[in-house]
Amino acid sequence: MNSEELLAKLAECVEFGKVNKNAPFPPAMKGMDGADELTKQALDMGISPDEILNGALIKAMDRVGEKFNQKKIFVPQMLIAAKAMNAAMEHLKPFFKSGEVKRKGKFIIGTVAGDLHDIGKNLVAMIVEGAGWEVIDLGVDVNAAKFLQSLSENPDAVVGLSALLTTTMGNMQNIVAEIKQKHPEVKLLIGGAPVTEQFKVEIGADGYSSNPQGAVTYLNSLVA
Amino acid sequence: MDNIKTDTVLLTNLLGRSKELQLSNDDLKVPVENILKGMGMERSDADEYLLSLIDELIVTCFKLVGPRASYVLSEQVQVDLSANKVMIEDTELLTGKIVSSFMKKCVAVVLFSVTCGNGVEGLSKRLMKNGHALEGFIVDLIGSELTESIAGYLHNDIEGKLETVGYGVTNRFSPGYCNWPVSDQQKLFSLLKENNCGIKLTPSSLMLPIKSVSGILGIGPSVKRVAYKCRICNDEKCIMREKE
Repeated sequence: MNSEELLAKLAECVEFGKVNKNAPFPPAMKGMDGADELTKQALDMGISPDEILNGALIKAMDRVGEKFNQKKIFVPQMLIAAKAMNAAMEHLKPFFKSGEVKRKGKFIIGTVAGDLHDIGKNLVAMIVEGAGWEVIDLGVDVNAAKFLQSLSENPDAVVGLSALLTTTMGNMQNIVAEIKQKHPEVKLLIGGAPVTEQFKVEIGADGYSSNPQGAVTYLNSLVA
Repeated sequence: MDNIKTDTVLLTNLLGRSKELQLSNDDLKVPVENILKGMGMERSDADEYLLSLIDELIVTCFKLVGPRASYVLSEQVQVDLSANKVMIEDTELLTGKIVSSFMKKCVAVVLFSVTCGNGVEGLSKRLMKNGHALEGFIVDLIGSELTESIAGYLHNDIEGKLETVGYGVTNRFSPGYCNWPVSDQQKLFSLLKENNCGIKLTPSSLMLPIKSVSGILGIGPSVKRVAYKCRICNDEKCIMREKE
C-alpha cells in the first residue's frame, strides 16, 4: 500500500467506525486493520502527522458530518466514527504536545451549575474532539468561576455550555452574562434538550446547536 | 380553598398509609423502540449490529438494576385553583395551573418516589470514561426507560387496586414538569419522609441517583388517566415534550 492508499484506507476506517483489528464493527471490515493500526503504519511509513490528520482523519469526520446532516446516518454511527477517530488521535498526541501538529482551536465545555447531566455534553465533547478541536471538559455542575478560570488558562478558547433542565437554563443565562461581562470577545455556544435558538438570542450567547454535529459546524465556521 | 372529604378507611385498607412495593425485574420493560427513539432513530434505521448491541446492554442493565418504589397516601388535600397551589397536610406545593386543575376533583393523593439505583448509571459513566460513548449513551437511555418503567409499575399497581372500588387515578406529575418548579422537590421529599427509596436531593433539587422519579398522583371517584399529555401544557422547552 502506498501512502495515498494508506490514508484513503485510514479515512474509510474512521468514516465507517473501524476502531482496530479486533473491533467487531463494521461487520464488512471484520479482521481488517482499523484506525489504530493504520495510523501507526502511516507514521512508520513517514507520513507527516499533519497529513494524517488533515488528509485522512478530519476529511473522514467531515464526511460523517455531511451524512449526519443528510440524515443518512444517526448519532450511533457518529459516535462509532468518533471512537475510531480518537483511536487514531492517540498516536498523534505527542505531535500535538510538541506543537508539530496544530488543532483547529480549543473548546471548553461544561454542564452548567446545578445540573448533573453529562451524557449530551460528553457526546458533544467526543464529536468536537473528533473534528480536530482540543476539548477541555470541565465536567458537570460548573459555575461561572470555573469557566472563567479555564478561560484565563486558555484565552483563545470557545466556550460551550450545556443544560438539560429548564430550571438550570437560568444558571446558563447567568453564566453567559458573567463570561460576556469579563470577556465580551469570547464566543459562547449553548445546547441541551430545553435550549433553543430563541433562548440563545435572549441570553446573548453566540451559537446554539441541538446536536453534536451542529456544534462542530458552528466551531468550524469560526476558523474557516 | 375547598376542603375535600374522603373515605380514609377505604383508601387506607386498599393502599396502606405508606408502602414500598416489592418489584422484580420481570415487572420492568425496556422497549427497544424507545431506546432507538432516544437516539433519533426508528427500527428501520438500525442495523443488526446496533440492535444486537442494544439487546446485549439491556440484558446487562437488568443485572445491575436495583428497582425501588415507595409512596405515601394523604387525604389532607386542598386545591387552590386561583393560586395554582395544592396544599398537602401543612405543605404548600406550587404545582402550577395544570397540575392543580388535575387535582381539583381528587379526594386524596399519593406522593411517590422510584429509582433504578446506582448500578446502571455507574455503568454508563464507566463506559463513557473509557471511551465507549455509544455504549454509555445506550446504557443511559436504558436507565431512563427502566426508571419510567418502575414509575409505570407503581402507577398501574395503585390504579388496579382503586379500580376495585370504582376510584381512579390521575396521570403522574413531577416537579420540574408542567410548570411545577423543580425546587418543590424539597417539599415533596419532606412529605415522603422515610419513603424516599434512599434518594438524596442536591441543593439544586436534583435527585441522586439521577435515574429516579418523584411526583404526585391524584385519587378520586371521578378522576382518570388521560392520554394527553403535552396538549394541555404550554412548556415548549420541556425535554419530555417530543416523547408524548
